[in-house]
Amino acid sequence: MPAANQSVRAVFGALLALALAAHPALAAPSGPPVRIGSTLALTGPLAATGLVHKIVGEIYVEQLNRKNGLLGRPVEWVLKDDQSRPDLARTLYEQLVTVDKVDLIMGPYATANILSAMGVAQRYNKVLIHHTFGTPSLAKYEMQFPAGGLAGDPDNTIPRLVFDALAASAMPPKSVAVVTSKFPSVHFISLGAREAAKKRGLREVAFLEWDFGNRDFGPIAARLKDATPDFVWVGGLGLEGNLLIDAMRKIDYMPPLHFHLFPAPGPLLKAPGGENALAATTFEEHPPFTDNPIAVEFIRLYHERGAKAGLPDTSVENQSAISFSSWQTLEAAVTGAKSIDDKAIAQWLRKNPVDAIVGRLRWDGPFNYIYGTDLYKVKQNQQGKWVVIWPKEFAASGAHLVTP
Amino acid sequence: MRGRALAAFAAAGMALSAVPFFGLPAFYESFLYLVLHWIVLAVSWNILSGYSGYFSFGHGAFFGAGMYTTATLATKAGVPFLWTLPAAGIAAAAFGIALGAVVFRLPRLRGELFALLTLAVTFVLATIVLNTPVDGGPGLYLSAVPLPAIGPSPSSTFYLLGLALALATLWIAREIQRSRLGTGLFAIHDDEDVAEVLGVPTYRYKLAAFGLSCGLAGIAGGIQAMFISYVTVGETFSIAVPLNVVLMSVLGGSRHWFGPAVGAAVVTALLYAFTAGDYAVAGRAAVGLILILVILFLPEGIFGELIGALKRRRVSVTPVIDAADPPAPTAAGPGKAEAQPLLEARGLSKAFRGVQALAEVDLEVRRGEILGLVGPNGSGKSTLINLVSGHFRPDSGRILFEGRDLAAMEAHRIARTGLARTYQIPRPFAHLSVLENVALPAMFGRDALPHAEAGHEARRWLAFTGLGAKATSLPGELNLHQRKFLELARALASRPSLLLLDEVFSGLTHAEIDDAIRLIRAIRAQGATIVFVEHVIRAVMELTDRIVVLSYGRVIAEGDPRAVMREPDVAAAYLGKPHA
Amino acid sequence: MALPSLTLLGQSLLSGIFIGALYGLLGLGLSLSWGMLRQINLAHFALAFLGAYLTYQLAGAGMDPLATLAVIVPCFFALGALMHWLLARFSVSAFNSLLVTFGLTAIIEALIQWIWTADFRRMESAYGEVKFRVGALYVALPELLTLAMALALSLAVWAWLRHTYTGKAMRAIAEDAPIAAAFGVNVRRLSLLLSGLSAAFAGVAGLALALSYTLAPGQIYAWLGVVFAAVMLGGLGNPLGPLVAGIVIGVSEALTMAFTTPAWAPLVSFSLLIVVLLARPGRI
Repeated sequence: MPAANQSVRAVFGALLALALAAHPALAAPSGPPVRIGSTLALTGPLAATGLVHKIVGEIYVEQLNRKNGLLGRPVEWVLKDDQSRPDLARTLYEQLVTVDKVDLIMGPYATANILSAMGVAQRYNKVLIHHTFGTPSLAKYEMQFPAGGLAGDPDNTIPRLVFDALAASAMPPKSVAVVTSKFPSVHFISLGAREAAKKRGLREVAFLEWDFGNRDFGPIAARLKDATPDFVWVGGLGLEGNLLIDAMRKIDYMPPLHFHLFPAPGPLLKAPGGENALAATTFEEHPPFTDNPIAVEFIRLYHERGAKAGLPDTSVENQSAISFSSWQTLEAAVTGAKSIDDKAIAQWLRKNPVDAIVGRLRWDGPFNYIYGTDLYKVKQNQQGKWVVIWPKEFAASGAHLVTP
Repeated sequence: MRGRALAAFAAAGMALSAVPFFGLPAFYESFLYLVLHWIVLAVSWNILSGYSGYFSFGHGAFFGAGMYTTATLATKAGVPFLWTLPAAGIAAAAFGIALGAVVFRLPRLRGELFALLTLAVTFVLATIVLNTPVDGGPGLYLSAVPLPAIGPSPSSTFYLLGLALALATLWIAREIQRSRLGTGLFAIHDDEDVAEVLGVPTYRYKLAAFGLSCGLAGIAGGIQAMFISYVTVGETFSIAVPLNVVLMSVLGGSRHWFGPAVGAAVVTALLYAFTAGDYAVAGRAAVGLILILVILFLPEGIFGELIGALKRRRVSVTPVIDAADPPAPTAAGPGKAEAQPLLEARGLSKAFRGVQALAEVDLEVRRGEILGLVGPNGSGKSTLINLVSGHFRPDSGRILFEGRDLAAMEAHRIARTGLARTYQIPRPFAHLSVLENVALPAMFGRDALPHAEAGHEARRWLAFTGLGAKATSLPGELNLHQRKFLELARALASRPSLLLLDEVFSGLTHAEIDDAIRLIRAIRAQGATIVFVEHVIRAVMELTDRIVVLSYGRVIAEGDPRAVMREPDVAAAYLGKPHA
Repeated sequence: MALPSLTLLGQSLLSGIFIGALYGLLGLGLSLSWGMLRQINLAHFALAFLGAYLTYQLAGAGMDPLATLAVIVPCFFALGALMHWLLARFSVSAFNSLLVTFGLTAIIEALIQWIWTADFRRMESAYGEVKFRVGALYVALPELLTLAMALALSLAVWAWLRHTYTGKAMRAIAEDAPIAAAFGVNVRRLSLLLSGLSAAFAGVAGLALALSYTLAPGQIYAWLGVVFAAVMLGGLGNPLGPLVAGIVIGVSEALTMAFTTPAWAPLVSFSLLIVVLLARPGRI
């Protein structure tokens, strides 16, 4: 009897729904919110990446509140604009801690601002999870936790990664040129690259440093063309790599292989001349990274929100991934320590690794940094897409370093 | 007066120092520190650029010099933080004075060229710091530098340091504004060359203002280095500091010592008002809009408008000074011509880019006489006045005044010797009141009177020239006749023994000329010797004891007015040779 | 420090000339309005970037980048005239104009970020691909276009000021506006014309930026210092000034970068500038 079956099913369904709703694990979070405060560069020169972090944070907090919040309580993110300025970041973090009296703080974007936030965190004994700190040697606070996958000695690990990838390729380069900005978080890593090249017996044909406000890359491109390196290490930040490529194309020159340290990934993909460019990353949108269902869900949401926010490139890559990982770290620590007390969280993190979408994050080294190894991989721009090519375990299926 | 102000400052200082003990959250102390920090930067910038008009685009260089001095001394030499602050100030001041010592000697480097130079200096310093071991790239990290516990917490320590520096800066700016240095700077703002000729030691004053301005910025930089604790070239030498101090000073009002402080507070507050994450971008647009509206409707700046409104109300209450007091007689008694000439020019020559304005001119002016200097246009009359008064240096020849060689003296010293002049086209200080215009030479002339006495002296001379009712007006409100008399009053205020008048009568009506003749006779009656350049022949005939005729830079006739004017050479010079 | 090859020197020299031309193009409108109208227009840079973004947008919609000028120039001309009308209506002094135009800059920058986000934008165009070979040296078309535009506009303005009635009237206004008015010059109309032109030049500079550079709203301030330097060095109101001064700065920096560590470049160009200022009796 279909009618009777239907009504039985309806009643059964209703009972099931009731039972589920009553289950504490699936209840909506309730009680006073856990307030998490941070600043981001929403305006000013760093705003492009700041927006990425804003979108990621919003996605994460929303997902948290859709499930169980933090410790059953809803999460509220108090976000302020530090206008890309460290002095503003410092004062705003003080405001968050002493006036808004947030429960927890998250790190801002970029090295100088994180350093300002770290000072405030230290003064008020707050734990600080951050993602984009580029000068680990300056992090001397025991309750700061980098969630970006970078090692404590990136001037060792990143060049080693890159040169290993090159050495394993079909035609390893014999000569290298290192060109770099003098921006603090980039410069020392580039110096590490010089050291690494020397140790591996590569011939350095050019070493050029520019002042970070530089607009004219013509002469630098000309000097590179003159030096004819097999491989160019570009220690550029944001726009600079693009400007250099532009300048090289204008004089009809493209080095066979080039690696960019901290590029703007989207623009580098699309730039004519950006083909086969190499960069470092912790995450790309292909297996094995997308074997993680959490990552897949995040990718979907990020595409959606990114498009809504008007981002020209909505694919998840390094910045968005490490941002997501920092929130994962926070959630894991709070849940693991069963508390929002900063000391408890810090203690838990030091003893427990977190499996974030960028990989396994640990903090059991000096000042919570791991030395000698990191979560970075090398990716290459192949036909308009970023594809990881090294280490082999993380390479996209069948992908390998392409040399022109 | 000063005692009261000092007490007020001290009271404010004490009251504000109590803020850390109110137990406010640290954020407010840090925010207030930032306000005080910008007050120091804006007020210190204003000391040179606002007062004297020497618009500096390089305040960031001196701020940065201070920042790096503190950072370097604290991290590399282990100097305790507080001791680095005077070092930062001295380093920045020394740098500024060294720069100024060269730049201020060059008269063409004014206006936007000075701005350009100071901007260029910023880039140069930034690049040197970036590429040498001072920084070299990685930046300097001060987290390990101990902060002395001046207040109950680190943020209150910064607040108190900032407060001390801000009060000191405001006090210095106030004192300067009310001192001779300030009067001189304001005069330089309006017309530097005239100020110099009136006795203002412009080079020294500009250097002093610049040095103070840079030193204060340097100390502010030192404190800021500790505040942000990570010093990098990019952040330190960005365009933000030089741009913001200009905006703050203009917004608050740059002619008053307190104006920039108001601007600094408003801009900093605006910055924080719009930091909520949701509308960050719109917030910036809102800040821009607010700035536009404020300056459109308050063109003198927020504080400037306030002061202006207060002054206007006060003016209507001030009683008018009448001409009761006859001015004191000048040093020399009522005159008759004496044997020893007062002024002697020997072999004076001056050329301007190939045009020989004066050629081997010999001239003497006898004490107590009225000497007329006449000649057609371009004959060199004004050049002669300019040389004697110190506007230009002669190419060759000597000018002896009471035995001293003026050609060897700095221009501002000539005013002290008892010599004064007027300008053909009146050049009053446009932003100073009529009274202040006349008081200035009394302050910087031979007698070097203090402020109050100079004011009294000025009033007497204004009454003498009939301008008593206009004491508080601006020169722009006077008509030509009044402005000429203002020139006269200004020249007389330094009680000169020799008065050089450059075409006083040009442009005056018949009645006004009579007035002026009477005045000049009265001046001579007091014992002044007068040389005047003139075209108005009637005045020449009526007033002069002797005349000298110049033509193409040479003296062609000299002697009794009527006799000389009938000489054929003179007629030829004026009218051309007669055709037979 | 090995001696660079001739090719390297030549290429660097060209690079310096081209970026100097861009400085000149950016500075032309600024110099004119500062020198002739006593208005220091900080918003000039924001306008140029707005023009660049508009070019980018229109080109993305299929329009030829050079053709976008047909839209941008008249719109910006109107904007410039409007700005001047505003400043004149409130009798804004030179220093106050700095503040007003700074406010405008903030508004325009916010507008740009709101529409196009802070992400970097790079205009793709057919012109970007073309380059010419002159011996061993390469000249890219966008750079050449920039130089051409800078030269053409500077010379055109120079000729206008020197040889036409309105041009001379403009110079009269710059020297002494009330007297010029007394002589029958329509100060108001000419001032609006000049403001409009300055803003239109900003639009043209925007095209040059879009052709050769990657755009970001934060970049507005990156050009401020060096272009101001070029404008002041070239002499306010001198139409050839920004171009010549810009090239001097650009070439000195480029040659420094060819010979030694590029990070020293600003030291050389600005020290040269200081020396020139101290030594020369006048301006360039």
